Amino acid sequence: MKMKDLKFWLKDFWTEYKKVKFGIVGFVFLIIFLLLMIFEPYIVPFSKASSRWRDITYWDDNPSGAPPVWTNWFSSKKSPESEKITKYQSEVIEGDLKFVNSTFEYDYKYDKAPLDIIFHGRGTGNMIMIVKMERPDGETFDLVQMPIQTDGGNDIRITLDKDSGAAAYDFAQKFENEENLQYVDKTSVKPLDIYFAQAKSDMLNKIEPLKGIYKFTVTTILLDQESSYEDPYMVVSGRVSGILGTDNSKRDIWSGVVAGVKWALLIGLLTAVIAVGIGVVYGVISAYYGGFVDSIMQRIFELFASTPLLPVLIVMSAVFKPSIWTMILMMCAFFWTGPVKTVRSMALQIKEETYIEASKAVGASNARLIFKHMVPILVPYSFASMALYVPSAIVYEATISLIGLGDATIVTWGQILHDALKGGAVLTGLWWWVVPPGIMIALMGMTFAFIGFAMDKILQPKLRTR
Amino acid sequence: MYWKYAAKRIFYGILMYIILIFIFSVLFNATNEATTKAQIEESLRGETTKMRNMDVQEVQKYMAERRAYKYHLYHLDQPIFQRIVWRTIDTITLNFGNSTNIKSAKGERDVWTIVSETIPRTILLFTTAMILELLLGVWLGLKKAQRAGGILDKSTSIATMVVYGMPRWWLGMIMIMFFAYQINIFPSGGLHTVPPPQGFAYFLDILYHMALPMLTLLIIDFWGTAYLTRNIVLGTLQEDFVMSARARGIPENKVLFGHTMRTSAPPIVTMALLSLLSSISGNILFEGIFSWPGMGNLYWIAIEQNDVPVLMGLLAITTALYIAGLVILDLIYGFLDPRIKVGGKA
Amino acid sequence: MNENNEKILQVNNLKVYYYTSKGTVKAVDDISFFLRKGETLGLVGESGCGKTTTGVALLKMPTPPGKIAGGEIIIDNQNIVELSEKDVRKNVRWEKIAMVFQGAMNCLTPVYTIGKQMMETLTEHKQMNKEDAKKLIVKYLNLVGLPEHIVNRYPHELSGGMKQRVVIAMALFLEPKVIVCDEPTTALDVIVQAQIINLLKDLKQKLNLSFIFITHDLATEAEVSDRILVMYAGKVAEIGTNQQIYGKQGPMHPYTQKLLKATPRIHEKVDELSFIPGTPPDLLDPPKGCRFHLRCSEAMDICREKEPQLIEVEKDHCVACWRCTKNV
Repeated sequence: MKMKDLKFWLKDFWTEYKKVKFGIVGFVFLIIFLLLMIFEPYIVPFSKASSRWRDITYWDDNPSGAPPVWTNWFSSKKSPESEKITKYQSEVIEGDLKFVNSTFEYDYKYDKAPLDIIFHGRGTGNMIMIVKMERPDGETFDLVQMPIQTDGGNDIRITLDKDSGAAAYDFAQKFENEENLQYVDKTSVKPLDIYFAQAKSDMLNKIEPLKGIYKFTVTTILLDQESSYEDPYMVVSGRVSGILGTDNSKRDIWSGVVAGVKWALLIGLLTAVIAVGIGVVYGVISAYYGGFVDSIMQRIFELFASTPLLPVLIVMSAVFKPSIWTMILMMCAFFWTGPVKTVRSMALQIKEETYIEASKAVGASNARLIFKHMVPILVPYSFASMALYVPSAIVYEATISLIGLGDATIVTWGQILHDALKGGAVLTGLWWWVVPPGIMIALMGMTFAFIGFAMDKILQPKLRTR
Repeated sequence: MYWKYAAKRIFYGILMYIILIFIFSVLFNATNEATTKAQIEESLRGETTKMRNMDVQEVQKYMAERRAYKYHLYHLDQPIFQRIVWRTIDTITLNFGNSTNIKSAKGERDVWTIVSETIPRTILLFTTAMILELLLGVWLGLKKAQRAGGILDKSTSIATMVVYGMPRWWLGMIMIMFFAYQINIFPSGGLHTVPPPQGFAYFLDILYHMALPMLTLLIIDFWGTAYLTRNIVLGTLQEDFVMSARARGIPENKVLFGHTMRTSAPPIVTMALLSLLSSISGNILFEGIFSWPGMGNLYWIAIEQNDVPVLMGLLAITTALYIAGLVILDLIYGFLDPRIKVGGKA
Repeated sequence: MNENNEKILQVNNLKVYYYTSKGTVKAVDDISFFLRKGETLGLVGESGCGKTTTGVALLKMPTPPGKIAGGEIIIDNQNIVELSEKDVRKNVRWEKIAMVFQGAMNCLTPVYTIGKQMMETLTEHKQMNKEDAKKLIVKYLNLVGLPEHIVNRYPHELSGGMKQRVVIAMALFLEPKVIVCDEPTTALDVIVQAQIINLLKDLKQKLNLSFIFITHDLATEAEVSDRILVMYAGKVAEIGTNQQIYGKQGPMHPYTQKLLKATPRIHEKVDELSFIPGTPPDLLDPPKGCRFHLRCSEAMDICREKEPQLIEVEKDHCVACWRCTKNV
């Protein structure tokens, strides 16, 4: 097929395709997916989600099992959102000891306290870290005081939830009545609930939020010349987090879901293209040679077609524990049977055409006849087939992953769902963990179904008149 | 005529099965043998721990003897091709050996017992769902074909495409989350409540537990059947003999349900059953999500516990059922289509 | 053929249009003719001229998206165009007017036996007990030269010729007034073709049947038809008796003339095959004036402007052509 013919055919095809409404919808969705994939690093807060999915330190600052931020709209009591505050006021006091003060402002306008506040900074050498809080009601006090010793530029992490328990209790003691203090165990107090609560009697039992601007000052006292402290930032670990919440390993689900787009597209398209490619060529060759070759090829085909695909894939995965590439190969090894029957009957029809006979008479080789004359006619059908195979491939991979036999080194929607199932998301109602990956699978399936059916609709009448 | 066709088809099916089992035996030979050897060692250890009054050397000698004997029993001392053939024969004769961990309801370790317990439950769930889905799907497909291009037709076609890529098991998870936990209408899984009620109540209890999985299956599956039915019926309606029947003054409902449907029946039944057979795949997971104690659920358990013999047994049985399904399909098609049933020319 | 026989079918100004998404195709655009008892009227023309459309329209069954857009079809003093679908199905179709399709193709339901299909048709129209019905079926099967056991056969078990005979038997056995044959022999090989044609002629004589015989094969037409109607682009070009069209004098309409010339005669010496240049017009947007004028070698100015009317130039011979009728 010449370039000119191809262009003409494409244009003709596109005018037809445009007419089928749902085909356009499918196409639009496909573009959206592609854009998601291309712009992934820019639209997700955790751009290394793909490679560091199983790295707990990457996710440490997130709350565990937190619903998405927009659920706040639906509840009367507003939960704080996870935030990263990088703006701070810096103050350096020189002297025998160098004091580095970094002050962060946090606007608290919620009804429930955050789960944690974490302070990060890069430090070297010996220092003493003090975290001080100034509340909107004027109360000021130290939260944390700890010595740090670290070598070359490591990340220093101070969390209020773990490191400031004593300070919280002391603060509450000042305001709480005797009775309550008796019943409350010092170690069971949640510091942040106290910090953000109105200071008054009965504050340990009935927490009323104190809204306003909170100032957190991180004071680093550098104990010698070589020590340094740089790039501080503060993370509020809220009760709601991210566009799609977090799972119980603290991973941002939106980042995971978007990271899964490229894998889904890769797995789906690669499998579909290879499998259909093999299937079409197989069918054409079988029809072309006919006779003995055809019989043998048909028997082999029947053998493959008689195997129940998923059970075999499952057992093979259980025994051989393959990587994603091996899995794709395995899927291709079975998917190719799909188009063979239809392609073969179409090829048989084409074989009877006189131009094939004519080409043979002129001396065209078998390969030429097969690949230059017969296969190109089947290209439109192949594309429709491929489109319809993509969802199957994606679902298969997801299925294998769900059981736990998938490739755990990559983030696919199936992997996320596997974690969800294992993590009891269904039981504990963490719907934001279960619904989005599944919806993505369904949406991608829908997209390719639309595209495939639209192509099928256009190509069918043309096939019939043959 | 038909009997010749049927016999041929059945023969082919059996042949396919034997070849496949052979291939599986080849493929999984290493794992299978490792498992068998491990089991032998385990049983040897079991035997020798009871022997306290023999010294180490004697015990070793005894174990070596017993080991050689067991190896001979399991054909492990023969060349590789023979071993594979033996395994094939064993598999086909349902001699699957013992499981590594899993026990049957009565505590037995025989793989065939374990697997065969689960088969009826799988068949119960999926056959019921299949029948319902076929009935609904064909009915809807007919309605769509009658008013092709109308609102019902277009909207249900869109529905077909929307659920095309939706994993059944995921929908199951959602349904459980919603209907079993949020709103407590249906049980979240299992075959029946524990302890099971007696008599007729037992029967109802099972139905109650079947309800949610079946609903989930129906939601996804029957659109596809409707769509296929619609296309096939529409295709048939364009045939000349339909017009010819109408020209002869045959009333429309006889034309539709008699001439058209009867002619469309073979391809519809084939398509519907084929798509149902190929959905066996999703069903495996599906049972697991609902803890429905069928074959699919057993796959889950076997994988989790890494019980290779059970997996192999399951694979063999699943393949057998699958091929049986394909053969039955062809037999039904042959029966419905007089061109095959009666064959030939006068 | 007796000219004084009564007219059993009268078609006036029949219009059948196909309403497609691209526009309205005027497949049959105002045609009129009649059929006498005991005669065979042949309907000839190129593919796409509207003859099959006319045929199915006579049973009030235009293929969708076609619809009868106007005109009258009068059988038994009733204009069936005005009747309801239910009426037509119950009383007109097959009882008053039946159709013989290209049986060799696909017009018998593959999953029912011949007997069942015939019985079904019979019981739909007439009240009869099973015995009498079976007798009638066998009678007609024998009439077309088929043995009784055909009743238990499925269509795929019969040869093309046998299927065609079944189709003919089915069309006849309710004894309708008019039988429309739509290309009944086209898909058969020559020998079987001859058999079927002889059968039809034989039956016509025996039972005094009236046929409308649609075909594009002029030779067959010449054999069976008493009168011939030539259609072009949805309109009647010429109507005449067999003798008037095929006889020595030859037809009058330029189209018919060219049509006949394009069929080489076995006795003539042929140096060059003649053909009609151009293609039939697009019926979505037919040309102004005479529809044939673009391909006619003798077109006049008026042909490009005004449509010629069908005018009788001699007894039983009508032509729609300005050149032919300018002297009348």
